[in-house]
Amino acid sequence: MGTSLDAPPHLLPADLPARVVAFAARLRAAHGFLIGPGEVTDALRALGAVDVLRLREVRDALRLVFTASPAQAPVFDAEFDAFFRPRTGPPPPELPPLLPQTEAPPPPPQRVQGEAGEPRPVPGESRAEDSLEAGEVQALQGRTPPRETEGEPDDPADPPRLLQARLSPHAGEGGRVEAGGDDLPELLRAAGALVRAVELGRAQRRVPMSRGTRLDLRRTLRGSAKTAGDPARLRWLGRPRRAPRFLIVLDGSRSMGRNATLLLRFAHALHLRARRVEVYAFSTALTRLTPTLRGAPPGEALHLPDLGDAWGGGTRIGENLLRLARDERARVTRDTIVLILSDGLDTGEPEDLTRALRDLGHRAGLLAWLSPLAATPGYQPVQRAVQAALPHLDAFLPAGGVADLHALARALRGRW
Amino acid sequence: MSDRPEPSPTAPVPAPIDLRTAFRERGYVAGDALVTALRLVVALGKPLLLEGPAGVGKTEAAKTLAGALGARLIRLQCYEGLDAQAALYEWNYARQLLHLRAAEAGGRPVTDAELYGPEFLMRRPLLEAISQPTPPVLLIDEVDRADDAFEAFLLELLAEWQVTVPELGTITATARPHVILTSNRARELSDALRRRCLYLWVDYPSRAQELEIVKARLPGISESLAAQVTRAVHTLRELPLGKPPGVAETLDWAAALVALHRDHLDEGALHVTLGAVLKLREDQALARATLERLARG
Repeated sequence: MGTSLDAPPHLLPADLPARVVAFAARLRAAHGFLIGPGEVTDALRALGAVDVLRLREVRDALRLVFTASPAQAPVFDAEFDAFFRPRTGPPPPELPPLLPQTEAPPPPPQRVQGEAGEPRPVPGESRAEDSLEAGEVQALQGRTPPRETEGEPDDPADPPRLLQARLSPHAGEGGRVEAGGDDLPELLRAAGALVRAVELGRAQRRVPMSRGTRLDLRRTLRGSAKTAGDPARLRWLGRPRRAPRFLIVLDGSRSMGRNATLLLRFAHALHLRARRVEVYAFSTALTRLTPTLRGAPPGEALHLPDLGDAWGGGTRIGENLLRLARDERARVTRDTIVLILSDGLDTGEPEDLTRALRDLGHRAGLLAWLSPLAATPGYQPVQRAVQAALPHLDAFLPAGGVADLHALARALRGRW
Repeated sequence: MSDRPEPSPTAPVPAPIDLRTAFRERGYVAGDALVTALRLVVALGKPLLLEGPAGVGKTEAAKTLAGALGARLIRLQCYEGLDAQAALYEWNYARQLLHLRAAEAGGRPVTDAELYGPEFLMRRPLLEAISQPTPPVLLIDEVDRADDAFEAFLLELLAEWQVTVPELGTITATARPHVILTSNRARELSDALRRRCLYLWVDYPSRAQELEIVKARLPGISESLAAQVTRAVHTLRELPLGKPPGVAETLDWAAALVALHRDHLDEGALHVTLGAVLKLREDQALARATLERLARG
């Protein structure tokens, strides 16, 4: 255990509760963490249950209370280090100060292939051992989403630069993404029609319904009290329709041009119409957009943070879909409709694409590919990626404008 | 929440238990974050939501906690369609009917209170958990498999620690259980449920940790075989597999090799035990080249 883990004297004074409160406020205001007075109280109680002389225990305890998803862990760690890092003692290493004012890093880093057998830092569990263990420099490095730096050069001079590049709002391939447009009502109509067109079958759970398949004995008997014990009115249990879940994968590569933002707005509209919508964007890398869309106010232009390799770069469809298929595997069920929005201009290997689509197709209720290119007259699906994909798709449809999106519901009806 | 009278407080652990050691004695190698989390579950009386890929030991952590605390483990396995009735209580209609018949035959009237007495009540895991004289460990396993309605019902229980049985009235927890919920993220859980819980993401252990786990769970295994298996599993996890092997698979694989009296991982051993670690045919095909390289050394 490194000496840096023992809290320096400045951590202990009576202002620790005040600093925890300020820390909570910072997480709430700057990163949208759902932290209320209850969580702050719990955090202070938690500090009473751990050894506050050990910074790592303090961090673990606060992380347990303040975070609620894996995506929040790297943000929490960065902020924690900025708040509670010792400011006395030897001068800090030559690394730049850690982004106290930057926006939240992108959602959970996807797993990338790294050195075989290399111990992998993980959110929550292993990072606890890694980032604070070896003192200040490692603590600083530990703040980045750990998997993003995997496979990167080990040159000690490199991480700071990488850190800055990844978290700077102006870095990366695409910069900030603006998707404005006054077509929201149109898109909402198209999204609503699509949601209504979906017929996935029935849920497992039985609920009281006016017509059903099974007699609801309990309610029937209870109701019979009004008719002198005679079950005059029968009550029924039935299975409601299953609510669909949409998994939208958006190609944000350069070749998609303006179509990408149209489809992004459509994804947002679908998100407003259906409760369960998961949106990913990819270009050379894959990023989950759902949290951003969830927080976007309807009716205003969409502002997405810098998506780095997930927007405006080249295209590696197969590789990214393979990663998506693996990460989302548990959640892709017969209730899931997978919509891939891409022009199919790919620089990756078709074999990866085939494998990913076969996997997604087996598990999902419907797998459809929407292509802006397919909307052009005389289009032939000759692209390598599209050729590889076609045998595994339930539908391959054009998506060149709002009219095509309107036609989606009709085109997809009856395919599941 | 603070304006309500608290149910009888979580009974503190009689003597401070070193959970890390207690876990290790039971063959569970727990990381720092997990140890802190479990300590807070006991100290704060808050539920803990453990999320992470399948097979990293989430369920096992709850079982081991029960063992370490000497508490009873009550497990609710969630599934699609699970409703409050199945999780809380049911009346034993058959016994009630027999009781009625017997009373009728004896010419004895039967009161409601008698018919809906505790002897006809079948406690399901949740009611059982809040009726214990000492705090049990309540494991709500794979909560992501249950649907939204059940999750909403859980919220009420986790906030109030009481349930209402129409015929019996409100039953308040006699001792607040230590609650651990697990999720494989098959469905996104609501913010409300997350806020009720302490949260910990459990990922695959580092190679060194996993080696420790293998040695702790299979004391008879040779050092070199344990290291080989661990290294192979970590290499496999780097591949884009549909179902990457969890710690459970590592242990299964190591146990299979030990049972076959293998002391090192060669091609033959790989061939006959591959099913213990890769459970999809496609994954096996994908990993074949990597495995052959591993077997060669």
